Amino acid sequence: MSGRELLLLAAGFTLWAVAFVALYAMLSVGCRFGWDGIDLAGGVTVQRAQLVTLFLAFLAVGAWLAVHLRTGPRAPFLSRAAYLAALAGLGSIVFSFAAVFALSECV
Amino acid sequence: MAAPFLTGCAGPLSALAPEGPAARGAVRLWWIMLAGGGAIFLVVSAVLMLAILRPAALRAFGPRRIILWGGLVIPTIILAALVTAALALGERLLATPRPPEDAPLRIEAVARQWVWEFRYPGGAVTFDRLHMPAGRDVDFTVTSADVIHSFWIPRLGGKIDAIPGHETVVRLRADRPGVYGGVCAEFCGTGHAAMAFTVEAHEEVGFAAALAGEVEE
Ligand SMILES: [Cu+2]
Repeated sequence: MSGRELLLLAAGFTLWAVAFVALYAMLSVGCRFGWDGIDLAGGVTVQRAQLVTLFLAFLAVGAWLAVHLRTGPRAPFLSRAAYLAALAGLGSIVFSFAAVFALSECV
Repeated sequence: MAAPFLTGCAGPLSALAPEGPAARGAVRLWWIMLAGGGAIFLVVSAVLMLAILRPAALRAFGPRRIILWGGLVIPTIILAALVTAALALGERLLATPRPPEDAPLRIEAVARQWVWEFRYPGGAVTFDRLHMPAGRDVDFTVTSADVIHSFWIPRLGGKIDAIPGHETVVRLRADRPGVYGGVCAEFCGTGHAAMAFTVEAHEEVGFAAALAGEVEE
């Protein structure tokens, strides 16, 4: 067992955690600077646009990670587990953060 | 038999005896979670009993299916339902801007070690006693003069942090006149436990009279 395998095992949910911190931080930064009051186009504010962009970026990285770690059922246990954890992490990113499309931005 | 346990649920600080829409939403979510948690506990207990008493029945179901259903499908359904309910209720608690003609009354709450200061439109100021009109929304603008405190009137709604150098807003409404309890809900030093305040919700006329009385004091 190498250190690399252990790191890969944690990759999916580490990405989720980074996405959580990044979105939470940028939500607060945007509200502090009043980005929710700046209309970009068609009722979409700068705040909403930057949060959605961040979300989509993390979604892309998560998908890339899952493709990168992809293995068949006969692969060594840790590789297989790392792949499934990356899939679970990707699902968690959608589950936890897709609300950036709909919820109120700042109050 | 339940009486000794339920008496703890009454009183001026009971979040389970809501007197306003914000608190009612929180209580509804609390009951949903209690019922959901209770149901999950019963099902898990039943499966556990099955594993002890009739292991063959569980074995026939197969480990893959147990992991798939018990570890993924059912928890996802339950979590999705709870998250949806929480987000929907949370959205309704926000102090979203309103047109000036039906803008809620604004009352400022300033926390400091260890006293609550309330400032009203018109210049009245009270300490540790909050007057508010009943039957309409009030926006509380909350801030702190020293450390972080938290403004909480359990029977009216959720708490909100009082942060030095920053203003937070919580929109609350008391359904009817009455006296409710408020507390500081964030540890703020040795006087924290005693940092409580009284909330008096008045009829519209009584509210003005109460403020006038405070100014003369
Ligand atoms: Cu305090």
